[in-house]
Amino acid sequence: MEQIVFALLNGVIYGLLLFMVSAGLTLIFGMMGVLNFAHASFYMVGAYLAYTLQPVTGFWLAIILAPLLVAGLGIFVERFVLRRVHAYGHAHELLVTFGLSVVIAEVIKMFYGNFPVDYSVPSDLNFSAFALGGMEYPFYRLFMGGVAVVMFAVLYLMLTRTRVGIVVRAAIYRPRMVEALGHNVPMVFMAIFGIGAFLAGLAGAIAGAFYTTNPNMALELGVVVFVVVVVGGLGSMEGAMLASIIIGVMNSLAVGVNVSLADVLARVGLGDWARETGGILTLQLSSLAATLPFFLMLLVLLVRPSGLLGEKE
Amino acid sequence: MLKKLVAVIAVLALLLALPALLSESMLNASVQMLIAALFATAFALLCGQAGMLSFGHAAYFGLGAFATVHAMNAFGGDGLLPTPLMPLAGAAIGLISGLGAGYFSTQRTGTYFAMITLALAELLHALAPHLKEVFGGEAGISSFRMPAWGFEFGSTIEIYYLVLGWTVLCIALLWGLTLTPFGRLVLGLRENSHRLKFLGYNTHALGTFVFALSAAFAGVAGALQALNIEAANYVVLETQVSTAVLLNTFIGGAKVFFGPAIGAAAMTFFGHVTSDLTRSWLLYQGIIFMLVMMYLPRGIVGEILARFRGEGGAVNPVAVLARFAGILVAAAGFVMAIELTQRFFSTDYKAARQAGGWPAVEFAGHMWAPFAPLTWALPIVLIAAGLGLVTFINRREARRQEAQI
Repeated sequence: MEQIVFALLNGVIYGLLLFMVSAGLTLIFGMMGVLNFAHASFYMVGAYLAYTLQPVTGFWLAIILAPLLVAGLGIFVERFVLRRVHAYGHAHELLVTFGLSVVIAEVIKMFYGNFPVDYSVPSDLNFSAFALGGMEYPFYRLFMGGVAVVMFAVLYLMLTRTRVGIVVRAAIYRPRMVEALGHNVPMVFMAIFGIGAFLAGLAGAIAGAFYTTNPNMALELGVVVFVVVVVGGLGSMEGAMLASIIIGVMNSLAVGVNVSLADVLARVGLGDWARETGGILTLQLSSLAATLPFFLMLLVLLVRPSGLLGEKE
Repeated sequence: MLKKLVAVIAVLALLLALPALLSESMLNASVQMLIAALFATAFALLCGQAGMLSFGHAAYFGLGAFATVHAMNAFGGDGLLPTPLMPLAGAAIGLISGLGAGYFSTQRTGTYFAMITLALAELLHALAPHLKEVFGGEAGISSFRMPAWGFEFGSTIEIYYLVLGWTVLCIALLWGLTLTPFGRLVLGLRENSHRLKFLGYNTHALGTFVFALSAAFAGVAGALQALNIEAANYVVLETQVSTAVLLNTFIGGAKVFFGPAIGAAAMTFFGHVTSDLTRSWLLYQGIIFMLVMMYLPRGIVGEILARFRGEGGAVNPVAVLARFAGILVAAAGFVMAIELTQRFFSTDYKAARQAGGWPAVEFAGHMWAPFAPLTWALPIVLIAAGLGLVTFINRREARRQEAQI
């Protein structure tokens, strides 16, 4: 019982982190039609910058400064790279951001080496929040979830309650009309790109301390984030939220389950045959946890190709 | 047409003569180049001609490699097919897996398509380590080439001709495909799939079939790789393989038929040559790719062809040479900066610093101290001078063109 509660909690918090990265991605996509392949790289840069700044500025300042620097990087990329290739079409923009993700990963490897760095939770945050049935729950996980929730509340209020938010939402919907009304739409795009990068950088700065910080983290997370976005429906914020939580919970529940297809087949008397056949039939569900999001994606594509909450094409 | 024919025959003759001209290690590099060229051409059928961007072509390359290794090991090592026909196993598995993967991924177009291909490749990559019987776990699966048809297949020369034969055959087939009505339909899929649908074509089936064909030829490339190294490891399923073919294809020019092959051969060649000199080849490749995407959107071969056709006005050879020189100078400065940074941040340097102080590092035959002004001033001056020259020429050319109008 306690295990299930913990697994659910872990899953929701991991889902919130996923959402923090995928929110920026889906926001940028909805606005500019660009799927920013380098978005997960911003997450990685956030983690590495926070790791670098931490000894100088301390943890708290580091997790604020690092995302700001990442936002600066995002704005630079939008202004000087993406805007340049905009005329060649969306496929070209996707390719350029793909190239950027390769370059960022290689630059990180050049400075920090191709191995995980020792970025860990500061000791004054490393205590247990509560205990349940003899198992302690780390406070830092709750902290990560809390930051994610606060960020979303701020973002949501900004988008729905302020004048800036109205302009932004209008620019997503009808960019030309908004431009005709005298708003600086390229500026809005640049700012949104910066905010998206900031969110990804913040997620990286906070999560990097808890999970491992290595040059592959961008790709590992990136693939899951793309799955989230496809499952939720590209451009749909609510869809991204739903898919993030589903995938987070699914992943963390699956890790604790030791069932294989052979066990299922044993119920109908085919257990021995399945165990003899081996291969995919005897794989434990727990070792397949990393592949579950992809299966979910294929399922969604078969049943509802536009994503859970996406609009029909 | 005659010119093209002469060019093709000349290239073929050169390729046939290569074993007599090259050393063993360069011949090995040539085998790698041929495989990369075939892989890129197969990839370009999908992403260049049909306009469907795949981020996961390593899957079909890798499956082709594994299928071939299993085929070589079949019947207690006798092999399912005679060695020269082994790539057929790769083609078959590529075609079958391509049909399955293509069915799913071509449900959507554009960005979604790209994400699905990426996810499918990652799915396979995540599954592979758990399926020891098929993918051999950490160690991979090894095999060896059986003699067939009077050939031993022991020397690099024999394997070179085998790979050359398959590469030329497959590229010729892909070239022939572009001339058929089906090839025109593939282009239509890229240009306006809605219109194709209105005309009554089943675009989903068409897309699936193009995907499968591309995967089949990628499978042949994977099979050739497996034949060459007589082994397969799940490393071939990694994202780096997909990345490399994508970068190569677009650096060459995805929409020109021979662009991807030339791009892939050139990039593999540079990768081979620089592998002893630098650890940052992938970084350079990524930067070259970004620069090509930003400034030469049709790829290097594509832009050169466009110039030959006379697009973009008359070419002033002096200006071209000057630009080229400027780019070379800037590139030299940039490479120097990267290489020095790489050396100062490497683990070797950290170990060297244990002894105390900030020792100098070796680059291009000189020693460079980390805090000497010249170490950083030289690359900066080179970059500034090179870019300055290019900007100057560009401005002058622009003025000249204005004056002509």
